[in-house]
Parts: sequence; C-alpha cells; structure tokens
Amino acid sequence: MATERKASVTWQGDLMSGRGTIESVTSGMLGPLEVDWANRAEDAQGKTSPEELIAAAHAACFAMALSNGLAQEGHAPERLETSATVTFVPGTGITKSALTVTGTVPGLDEDAFRQAAEQAKENCPVSSALKGNVELELYARLT
Amino acid sequence: MPRVDRRAEVSWNGNLARGEGRISAPSGAFAGLPYSAATRVAARAETTSPEELLAAAHAGCFAMSLAGELREQDARIAVTANVVLDELEGQGHRIVESQLTVRAQAPGLAQAAFDEAVRAADEGCPFSRLIAAGAKVTIDARLES
Repeated sequence: MATERKASVTWQGDLMSGRGTIESVTSGMLGPLEVDWANRAEDAQGKTSPEELIAAAHAACFAMALSNGLAQEGHAPERLETSATVTFVPGTGITKSALTVTGTVPGLDEDAFRQAAEQAKENCPVSSALKGNVELELYARLT
Repeated sequence: MPRVDRRAEVSWNGNLARGEGRISAPSGAFAGLPYSAATRVAARAETTSPEELLAAAHAGCFAMSLAGELREQDARIAVTANVVLDELEGQGHRIVESQLTVRAQAPGLAQAAFDEAVRAADEGCPFSRLIAAGAKVTIDARLES
C-alpha cells in the first residue's frame, strides 16, 4: 500500500531577497521553519535548506535499511550513528550525498559490516530515488 | 563555483521492526526528531519520515526556483509536495512520485509567462532533477489573481 507524506511551503518576493517558510508537514513534527537563499547557498545561520532536509531524509532512510539488512543476516545492531552530507553547487545542482555510519553490532566483523552498509547505500528508497543523478559515497566502521 | 555542504545526523537503536531513530540538523532548525519503521508506512503520520523530509525539501526547493524565475519583489508562492512511497513487486519499498501543487500570485504576470516560469522552475530545481532519476514529478500549477 502506498504511503503519502506532504509538506507545504510559502514564499514571498524574489529569490535573492525574498523568504520562505516550511509551514507544515503531515506529521506536524516540523515547521514552521524559515528558509531563504542566503542560508541555503552561503552560511547556514540557524535556518534549514532543501539540502539539509535531503541529508536528514537520506541519513534516516540509510539507518533503517542498514538495521534491516543486519537483522536479516542475524546481526541486529545495538546502535547505528549515521550522517549524510549533501553537496549543492549553485548553478550546477546537487552533486553528492556522502553517507557515514558508525555501528555497534555484536558479533560482526568490519568486512561484513561494510558489505551490509554498501547494500543499504545502494538499495534504501531514498538512494534509489536519487542515485542516477548524484554521486553516493560511504564511510562505514564499527565502534 | 562555491560548493555548499549540508549535513544531518541520525542515531538508530535496535532492529528495523522495533527500533527507533532520532534525526538532527546541525543548523539547529530541528533536533532529535523521532521516527520508526511503523510510523514511516502508517496511514496516519505520527512521526516524521524520510519521505516527509523529502517533501519539505522538494516544496522548499521548487518555491525558491519559481521565485528565481518570476523575479518579482511581490510574488507570493505556495507549494505543497506530496511524496509517495510504494511497495513494488520484487523491489521492496520505492519512492515512486512527488506531486507538486503550486499556487502563485504575481500582479501583472500573464498566464503564458507563468506557465513558462513553472516549466523553467522544474528544470532548474536541483531537487526535481535529482529525484527524476527514480521517481515521477507531477506539477499542478495555477496563477491566482
């Protein structure tokens, strides 16, 4: 069955001097969050951006996929710390998402962990939606 | 061209079925957002999810892209993105579609110019380009008076 998740944004003015608000999302857990061009393309001074939200989605999706893959191999993780860093080059586009994971997985060796992480990187739904058009990187290690 | 990196962090405890994660953004815009497998696919969203975050990213990205095309000081743009996750035979869960609904007010703007701006905004929106690799983007856009 399909699952739908929605977010609504309003924007006022032009790109450079205007500003926007992520007003609400389906779950109610985000927003209102302000967004503007300066925070997106220069320094993030307390405001989120599309690239930060993609990073959050990717790190979250990757953690879930890896926990599932490990459990299916009989090594459910105690804990996974993941991150995603999304690179945006204004004028070019979003060029890269670099994933990292540090895992606490009893009874598993580094090689098997890296292999499971590679699988999750290739197959999690967010990776699948993005991967034809962006470089994906992975750095995985056990604690 | 300057490159901009944006990072987000997640900690996940336990297996997929019973585990839970927390999502944080170093910008400080959000921190410690809980999510889980059950709430990700539930009909009623009780926590955020990767798809909800992508919906926020896409709506934010498209709104900025359209603002860039309209180049008007007093344009008002409202964008909703609806991201659809589906279970496909043999492929598991896949993000299949992002549906954009766009409503804009731009005094003095002709319909044809608006239509062209929407088309160019989709072409220029980095997120639209990115997700087009694996999912369909649909746009329902209307110029309001």
